[in-house]
Amino acid sequence: MAKRLLDFRDRTAVAGVGYTPFTKNSGVSTLTLACRAVMAALDDAGLGPGDVDGLATHRVGDSAPPTLVGPALGIRDLSWHLDQFGGGSVSHAVVGQAALAVAAGVAETVVCYRAINARSEFRMGGTGRGLPASPEVQYQAPYGFFAPPQQYAMYARAHMLKYGTTAEHFGRLAVTQRANAVKNPRALMRAPITLDDYLASRWIAEPFRLLDCCLETDGACALVVTTAERARDLRRPPVLVSAAAWGGGESHLSGGPADPATTAAAALAPRLYGQAGLGPRDVDVAQIYDCFTYSVIVQLEDYGFCPKGEGGPYVASGATALDGELPVNTHGGFLSEGYVHGMNHVAEAVSQLRGDAGDRQVPGAEVALSTAQPGYVLPATSALILRRD
Amino acid sequence: MRPVFQVTTDRDSAAWWERTGRGEFAVQRCEACGRARFPARTFCAACQAERWHWEAAEPEGTVESWIVNHQAFGTGDGEPYVVVMVRPAAVPDCLLHGGWLAAREPVGGERVRGVFTPGAGGLTLVDWEPAGE
Repeated sequence: MAKRLLDFRDRTAVAGVGYTPFTKNSGVSTLTLACRAVMAALDDAGLGPGDVDGLATHRVGDSAPPTLVGPALGIRDLSWHLDQFGGGSVSHAVVGQAALAVAAGVAETVVCYRAINARSEFRMGGTGRGLPASPEVQYQAPYGFFAPPQQYAMYARAHMLKYGTTAEHFGRLAVTQRANAVKNPRALMRAPITLDDYLASRWIAEPFRLLDCCLETDGACALVVTTAERARDLRRPPVLVSAAAWGGGESHLSGGPADPATTAAAALAPRLYGQAGLGPRDVDVAQIYDCFTYSVIVQLEDYGFCPKGEGGPYVASGATALDGELPVNTHGGFLSEGYVHGMNHVAEAVSQLRGDAGDRQVPGAEVALSTAQPGYVLPATSALILRRD
Repeated sequence: MRPVFQVTTDRDSAAWWERTGRGEFAVQRCEACGRARFPARTFCAACQAERWHWEAAEPEGTVESWIVNHQAFGTGDGEPYVVVMVRPAAVPDCLLHGGWLAAREPVGGERVRGVFTPGAGGLTLVDWEPAGE
């Protein structure tokens, strides 16, 4: 077992971020979205397509791969590329793998992107696409159980039964994140909500209401990963990749953990913090994968910000608000900014560490945690620790 | 009503579905270490042996969680239905999903019993009802 990565910490950096607008209908192909976000990220870094020798993305058969985006932008020779299968559980793995490739010298400048028409073309809610050929799906789908909100609602109730987590806890998280989105010009949902609004929102799959669920969004987001040395010579302040970690996940196969109220983040976290030489108390701001309210609450526990089972009360205490001890999902998250499958979490972490997050800036933020889907449904997870240079 | 999601069985699972079709709730038993496993597959996760046999088990377990679905996913009509997650007594380190056959909602931890129900695509499903009622 690898105990540490030789000379990896802080050797690579995010040198630029780029977005397309987040909408309900982009009107363009995912290839167009990807190219626009890649160009925007390169422009942010002060680079052009001629500087790129690596491209990386993840997708579930719903988007343009690097082998299409490269030629479309006139990038003829990719010395490294990655087309990772998977959804939110591998979003951060893509950035981590790009950082490893750069640290290893296989590529010098990699653009990571995620481009989706997740509202207008290919909805995660399970409509408009066939079922994946997963060995687990055949034991679930015949019972009318397949869509992500159903899956997560099942885990959320297990957590409620085991630890006493309540609807009010979920609601406080949704309200807090919406308050952040109000301060984010990029966010799709900018009208403030109250706990009563949350409780009055319609049922999707009990215990989840509409406001427990993230948005389905058309949009793209991209990041430029290069060496720390090179990043220091570019347009923007570099944000260093201090740690990248990968983990397993919750499986329904016997022989696995079979604890639906704990995620693979609990096992990943010590590796991640160990790589960075930091602990949860050193984290100034966290972008935590929020496909649903519950996924944040369980990760707050599993990444060590509060004791196991106390994620709900921790959120209700105000700790995760912009002025709390651990501001979480400062852009509004997938619940309120938009859902670009994880990449917009990393981009927001970069923005906070560069100090350019505007009205939602966490003063003096030096260390950020950004996490992927914590290993439910597709049993894999990943996370990054970034820090200011 | 629950929506009809057509699924494809595979070479690991076909024999299991065949057994539910005969009203049998079967688990695999490792012939090397004796451990029961589910869902169906070739390797024992504990000892990596490939030798195993099917063994009929009681369709019993306890409620780990449940949802009440309201959204009209797929072919669903939005009429609420319950899906329960059960920890089967025969293989307590796995989790099974199924429909819920009682008029009331489940209770966390309650004992339940499997009921064989005709499903889409000719599959016989295993739904669940309270054990003592």
